[in-house]
This record gives sequence, structure tokens and C-alpha cells, in this order.
Amino acid sequence: MNPAVRLARVSFTYPGREAPALADISLEIRAGEVTVVTGDVGAGTSTLLLVAAGFAPRLTGGVLTGVREVSAVRPGIVFATPWTQLTGLCHTVAAEVAFGPASQGAPVAAVREAAERAMDALGVRHLAARDPVTLSGGELQRVVVAGALALAPDLLVLDDPAAELDPAGADALYALLPGIAAAGATVLVATPDHARAARVAHRAIVLAEGRVAADGPPALTLQDTDTAVIARMAGCPPPLPLDPAALAARVVR
Amino acid sequence: MIGYVAGRSPLHRAHPYTPLAAAGALLLAAFAVSTPRAIGLVVAGAVLLALAGGTGRVILRPMLMLVLPTWLLLLVLHGILGGAPHVAFGPVGLSEPGVRRALVLGGRVTAIVIAFLTALGTVSPSRLVEAMTARGVPFGRVFLLVSTLTLVPRMRARTAAILEAQQCRGLRAGGSPAARLRALVPLVLPLILGALAEVDEQVLALDARGAGTNVRRTALDPPPDHVAERVLRWLLFLGVLGAYAAKFAGRGA
Amino acid sequence: MNGYGVRLEGVCCGYGGGDVLRGVSLDIEPGEAVALLGPNGAGKTTLTRLLIGLVRPSAGRVMVGDWDAAARRPDEMARRVGYAFQHADQQLFARTVREDVSFGPMLLGRTKDDVTEALDELDLLREGEVHPYDLPAPARKLVALAGVLAMRPGVLVLDEPTAGFDRKHRALVAGALRRRVARGITVLVVSHDLGFVAEVADRIVVMREGLVAADQPARTLLRDAAALGALGLTPPDAAAISVRLGIANAPVRIAECAEGLRGARWNPASA
Repeated sequence: MNPAVRLARVSFTYPGREAPALADISLEIRAGEVTVVTGDVGAGTSTLLLVAAGFAPRLTGGVLTGVREVSAVRPGIVFATPWTQLTGLCHTVAAEVAFGPASQGAPVAAVREAAERAMDALGVRHLAARDPVTLSGGELQRVVVAGALALAPDLLVLDDPAAELDPAGADALYALLPGIAAAGATVLVATPDHARAARVAHRAIVLAEGRVAADGPPALTLQDTDTAVIARMAGCPPPLPLDPAALAARVVR
Repeated sequence: MIGYVAGRSPLHRAHPYTPLAAAGALLLAAFAVSTPRAIGLVVAGAVLLALAGGTGRVILRPMLMLVLPTWLLLLVLHGILGGAPHVAFGPVGLSEPGVRRALVLGGRVTAIVIAFLTALGTVSPSRLVEAMTARGVPFGRVFLLVSTLTLVPRMRARTAAILEAQQCRGLRAGGSPAARLRALVPLVLPLILGALAEVDEQVLALDARGAGTNVRRTALDPPPDHVAERVLRWLLFLGVLGAYAAKFAGRGA
Repeated sequence: MNGYGVRLEGVCCGYGGGDVLRGVSLDIEPGEAVALLGPNGAGKTTLTRLLIGLVRPSAGRVMVGDWDAAARRPDEMARRVGYAFQHADQQLFARTVREDVSFGPMLLGRTKDDVTEALDELDLLREGEVHPYDLPAPARKLVALAGVLAMRPGVLVLDEPTAGFDRKHRALVAGALRRRVARGITVLVVSHDLGFVAEVADRIVVMREGLVAADQPARTLLRDAAALGALGLTPPDAAAISVRLGIANAPVRIAECAEGLRGARWNPASA
């Protein structure tokens, strides 16, 4: 099966900058998987998402070199700050979620059905009549994800989607991702949250200064949870356990 | 208050094009007439519109703030500094043609301000979006118009948050005129920079939800447009045409 | 630089739709580090805004040292209270990071050294001449925080200071706060990042429906999975590990937990 996204020696530089945000990246992202991208601030994780989804350089400007092949036709994107992703034109949650399907010119019944399915998936159906500006950050972010899902994207990129959410909200959001991937979509998430990423990701890519520094199963590549740090400081040999239960299992009693 | 205020008045319940058409007709009529008596009728029409929209009390303050300085300027420029003949008014000599001119110009400004504040106050942005979508107006134009209409309330909310943040850094709100001037930069710049930073993300988010395509969007809940209202709008249009025809035929009111 | 105590006496406060705080009394000693937890709408943010004078109580008193916060403007309270908002972008405006961080301190008569120290603590010295909006969002939040630290207030109030941060930046912020606590500065932090709370706070106050529902030492509450579960939270990793493995003194901080595991023997990772 062809990969959903194939990058071969891709470099990308934003307009007006000298240093490339991505340097010589070669990757294949597969459909049906949750792939996490992580790295230090400025490592290029957000840029990788924009390039993979085709938003860069089309909407950002800049120079892309190398080969980029994407078989996905309907990319969806979710950012960290919920309120910048609202259309600002819809005064109910239902209308906001329906915005995407409505933009495709689908018949009213189909639009409503797609919106209701997406609202159910995110557990925000009870907010359907509420004005989005009255919602909390967590509720709003779920509405935003529902809005992206209503279009049934085959490539969903999420840039630190739980940054503004409380722990329960973050857990609930991440828990949705494997299901979306299992339905056939390609899910690409940039996040600094190794603990949550490790619970849901099939694969983790670590970027450093625009290059791939590590790429493999989360258990081997994501080593920046509190538990992993404790284990390293206590002399645990690699691979480091990522959560308390895993660490407890590694200690000889 | 500049911006939409929810309500149940006849204007609120009307098709969004109707209050806008009425405001537009009053604006055009204001320029078609050139006597104080006729402009008085146009102002009366605008006041009736405000009463029909139930917005009288709400728009009074912004209206006075916009209109009073204009009246003052006009009365000085034309009333006092205008040409002969002059009529004594206490210690001041008022120019009769100047006062007539000031009345017409001031009346124009008053009528236009009242009419547009009323239209802004009674036309729900989301209903306007649906109305324009149902008519097949491309999304780009819808977005531009409605974003402009909702600009003031959005900027006001932002400005309040910025003021709070800067006060917490030691910036004193108020004080001498020099102090107020110095305070402008840390208040205005974050407004602009923050808005620009958000625009980048909003463009990407909207594009991903299909906002940039040429496909005709589905209107989910278009406001009803009764025959009576369409007839009324046509009558307004014809009335304005008639006023201009009369003006150019030399029999201006 | 001295810390101030914070005292709330029977405070009620609302926004017109009814009181958000319904009679809160709280005493924080100078140099204490307190975390405020609770569900959305419990009144945590309202309580913090009272301390900087952005809202006034409808009943009761809010004292920061010997200052009544209700009697002073926010720019006056800024001399004693450094308030870090959750969203940094509403205040950044200068051409460079250093200029922006200097804005508050210069208004309060602080020195360039204070600014340099804050930039250094948050690893921002290299970005000193960069435009704030050329930095990614988490870095901009750090810039705003550096601006608050450089004001050298006697009380630091922070609203979700680590939202969106990776571990490294969370540790930077925690380190900066702990150093200030060691110097006697009072710290009040609203956060549901319990790993961060464990590193910073000695005491946790839980709010619910406008009242103080619990007030315990951090070490006690952070090990109580049931109590935290009622708030939709789980114990931070260090606390969970020390409970599972019965580590002596039940540490809740990373370094202490690792110290407690020193000498342990390790199974190989399962396939």
C-alpha cells in the first residue's frame, strides 16, 4: 500500500528566513496509524505538519525543495488555540461543526448528518445550540476537532491539540485518535506531551533543528516523560519505562 | 454600543437585507435632498428606523459621540464663518445661508449615523451570513463583510484584555494627556500584532474546512424572505431613484 | 526583595450573575508556595484577579501584606504582585524580547540586571534581540513570564504557566519559582499540571463552587489518587511511583523519587 505522505529529501524555508525550518527530511507516513512528531521548541514539528498536509508553501509562502507526494486528498488541521480556529460567522456549535460539509455544497440533510456524527464522536452534541464564544477552552477545542472530523478527512494533522485543555479533556482527545486512524485516516500529531503520545501513537518521530533525530516505536523514541527521567536518574538501563506502571514492573522487588 | 444586540423587534426578525436596504436608502436619500426641511424628513425616517429596531437607547451614546462634534464644527465653519446675509444671534452674527448649509450637512451625517448604527444593531451577523450564502455570494465576500461588521465588538474585547495585562505590568490607565499618549503604544501594538498572528492560523483552519473553494456553499438555515419585504426593498429602491430623478430634473426638494 | 503574606477574609466576589466566590478565607504566609486546584468555574481565576486588583470583592477583605487590594489600582498592586496571565500574546508589543521583558521592570524602577537575570533563568538570553512574534507560542509565553519575574514582586501569581510546555521548559519555570521561594517570595499558582505542582508547591488549596474545599500539604494530596480523581486528575508520576513501590518518605518530586530508587535492581524491558 502506498504511504499517505512521502517526503524525499525535503527542505523548507519560511519567507524572509535564512535557516531552513526543515532540512533534508525523508519520511513516509502511513495511513491507519497515529504518528507523533515531537522535538524541542523550534525543531520544526509544526512545519512538518504544514508541509505534510500541503499547507506549506501554498498558504504560508516559502521555498520547498525535494519531493513531496501526498495521496490524501482531504487534509484536516487542528491547532492548539481553539478560538483562532472558529469561523467567527456561526452563532451555534452545530453551525460551526457543519461549516466544513456546508462549504462542500452537500445537500442540507447530508450536512446535518455529518455534523451530528462528528458532534457525537466528540461528545459535544449537548452543546449544539450554544454560541461557541460562550464555551470553555476544553469544550471549544472539542468543537474544533468535531468541525475538522465532519469533513471525514483522510489526513488529520493536529498541532499540540491539548495544550489548552485540562488533563481529563486532554486524555479524552488523545483517546479519540486511534479510532480515527483505525477508520483509515492518517493521523499526524505534533506534541511535547510524551506521556499521552506514548499511550496512543503507533510511531514517534523526534526532530532536532529541522532534521529527523529518531524514528520508531514510541516506547523506544519517546524518552521525555517524568517517569523516564526518574528511571534514568535512578540508573535504569534503556529502554526507559515511560509511565509509573511500566517502571514498577521493571523494578526487582 | 456599536454592534449587534440581540432582540425581537420587527427589524431583528426581518430578512437581514431589509434593515441594510433601509439604511442604504436613507444614506442615498440624504444626498439627494438639499434643503433643511427635506433633510429633516430623512432624519425623521432614520429615527423611525431606530424605533422600529428598538435600538434607540442603545445607540444614543455612540450616535451623540459621533454626531455632536460634527455639528459643532459645521456650525462654526458655516454658521459663523459663512457668507452674508448675517443675522444677529446674541453677541454672534450667524450667516443665514451658512446655517442652512450646516443644517443640511449635519442632518445628513445624523441620518446616516442613526441608520447604520441601527442596521448594525439589528442585523445578526450569522443570519446575514446565511442570507448571503443562500443567495450564492462567494464565501470570501461574505467573510470580508461580516468580519468588518463584527470588528468593533471583537476589538473591544481584545483591548480590554490587553489593558488589564499592561496594568498588571505597572502601566497606569488614565492620567495626564502625555501619559495617555505614552500608554497608546503598549495598548495598540499588541492588538495589531496579536490579530495578525491569529490571522495566519485562521486562514489555514478556514482553508482546511473548505472556505477557499469556488463551490457554492449550502445554506443550512436561511432566514425567510417574505414577499412583502422584497416589495418593500424594491419600493425603497424606487423611492431613491425617484428622489434623484427629481433632483436632477431641477425640482429637488 | 521580600515576600508578602496574602490573606483573604470572608471574600465574596461575582460578575453580576451571582457570586463566584462565596465566602473564601485563606491565609498564605510570606514565602509559601501554594497551588490552587479545582474544576472550571470553581473561582480560582477570580481569586487570583482579586490579588492584583483587577476585580473587587463584594464582601470581605483581600490583603497583600498590609495593602488592601480593593483600595488600590492594578498598576499599584503590580509593585507587590507579579501576575502572569495564561495567554501571553495579549501583552507582547516591543521590537525585541529584551525590550518587552524590560517594560514592566522599567515602569517599576527595576534594573537592567533584573532583566538579564530573568532572561537567563528562562534560557532566553540568546533570543534577547529577536522579535517576540518570531518565536513560537510556548517561547512567547516564557517571554511574558520573564517580564513578570524581572519585576521582582514580593508575590508571584501564575495562571496555568506551563500550558503547552515540554518538560524542559516546565523544569525551567519550576526552578525559577523554587529559587524565589527559597528567597522568601510568596508563590500562588493555578495549574492542573500536577507534575509541575509537585515540583513547586508545598501546599495545595482545592476550590469547589466558590469555596475552599480542601487545604493540605502538597505531599499528602498528590499521593491521594481518590481525592485527585474526584477533581478529574491523576497523581503525578513521582507520587504514583513512590506509592506503588512504597518508597520511604513517599516523595512526590522527581529528584527525590529517583534518589529513593537509587540502588534498585532492574528487570530487562519485556519484548
